[in-house]
Amino acid sequence: MHHLQVKDLSSAYGPLTVLKGVNFTLAKGETAALIGPSGSGKSTVLRVLMGLNKPTGGEVLIDGAALDYSRPASVRAARERMAIVFQQYNLFQNMSVLRNVTIAPVKIKGRPRKEVEAEAERLLSKVGLADKHHAYPDELSGGQQQRVAIARALALRPQILLLDEVTSALDPELVNEVLDTIRGLAADGMTMLIVSHEMAFVREVATKVVMMDEGLVVEQGPPEQIFGAPKTDRAREFVGKILRH
Amino acid sequence: MNYTFQFGVAFAELPELLKGAIITFELGILAFWGGALIGLLGAALKTYGTGPLRWLAGAYVVFFTNTPALIQIYFLYFGLPELGIRWSSFTCTLIGLTLNAGAYLTEIMRAGYISVRSTEVEAAETLGMSRWQQIRYVVVPHIAKTIYPALANFFIVILVMGTSIGAIIGVDELTGQAINISTENYRWIEMFVVVAGIYVILTFIASLSLALVGRWAFRVKAKVF
Ligand SMILES: Nc1ncnc2c1ncn2[C@@H]1O[C@H](COP(=O)(O)OP(=O)(O)O)[C@@H](O)[C@H]1O
Ligand SMILES: [Mg+2]
Repeated sequence: MHHLQVKDLSSAYGPLTVLKGVNFTLAKGETAALIGPSGSGKSTVLRVLMGLNKPTGGEVLIDGAALDYSRPASVRAARERMAIVFQQYNLFQNMSVLRNVTIAPVKIKGRPRKEVEAEAERLLSKVGLADKHHAYPDELSGGQQQRVAIARALALRPQILLLDEVTSALDPELVNEVLDTIRGLAADGMTMLIVSHEMAFVREVATKVVMMDEGLVVEQGPPEQIFGAPKTDRAREFVGKILRH
Repeated sequence: MNYTFQFGVAFAELPELLKGAIITFELGILAFWGGALIGLLGAALKTYGTGPLRWLAGAYVVFFTNTPALIQIYFLYFGLPELGIRWSSFTCTLIGLTLNAGAYLTEIMRAGYISVRSTEVEAAETLGMSRWQQIRYVVVPHIAKTIYPALANFFIVILVMGTSIGAIIGVDELTGQAINISTENYRWIEMFVVVAGIYVILTFIASLSLALVGRWAFRVKAKVF
């Protein structure tokens, strides 16, 4: 059974239909990369999965069970299974690093503070920020903030981690520290859906590549196929363009 | 010039002046908190309200920020009795100052509402926070931190400039007490030098406490002066 299955998913911003029937699947422990030109609907897919945008049609299934995003209970269930990291980190500026990471597990899941703090410290060490617990977001570099955002997402113990262009807002010299963190997660077997423009990175860590264009998936398969021998014209054109750069 | 300064006379009146200072503090704090509640509501209406409610909040702000507080208090004290409503000078000053503060605080708080980053709220939502938790943990702390310096400044403005208007209609706050005593002992210069000193001390105490609270609660690096 597929861990995550997205079936004929559609969504719109007002009159503008941006997802026109998206299909792809994700197996447990897989790192899938969602690629495609800007405006093709990649972020919208992640936003629909997280319940930030409403689907207008299609289905999302986790372990074979469909989520009904019109029901608050299902939206809550989606947010328990999945966590998202945004391009702009979106840390809570009024909270210390440690509190950013612990607030959701403590206040929402109701887990004991001591236990959550111990786990948060482990996560922060894992992303290389063991010494920054008491810093505030505005005292950190973009790369450090993004790693805190990853730790914050992991603290919820999601089954699937969604990453939306998490290195795009970073200065070039800070990109690698974040990519290293993601490499580590992939090696640990975390199930991830990554939107990224870092093609070299995608080729290296992705077990599967899903290519989107104009609200549709044009091709999906292992990276060797997508980058080496794309089957569709649209994929060939896009790959040709990005590999030339 | 053969005026002999007699500060001893003024210092002898310190207990009376301090009674006035307490009323000054009372007026300042009550008007500020009343104004803050009005401001919270006014800012919500101006930011999220529609149609007549939004218009009403706008008209309130324009009216009270474009007319002198003195005129507003005169209206309450001398105008309302013509309509059969008679309030004490303290009440009229308090209500006038509160309405006046409410208008300014509406604008200050609106800046806070506008500054809330929707992306932070979205992050809170995806972490599973309910609407109420988003407001409590993300929205309100953010607004509070953003507007704290402006709020603290405004409190000092009311405390020092606002409350003394009451003296004109006979409230025995600090300035009023000084006028009362001076008309009897004729030591106007000494009295008002001492009163100015007390105002400076009041301001200093208030600014210092506000700066410390800001630092502790919001990491605001507020200057005392
Ligand atoms: N808030 C929004 N309001 C209206 N249209 C939007 C909004 N966000 C994105 N879109 C549109 O939706 C389409 C898909 O956007 P997005 O999912 O962000 O693409 P991608 O992440 O692949 O660059 C684009 O045409 C974009 O202009
Ligand atoms: Mg995007």
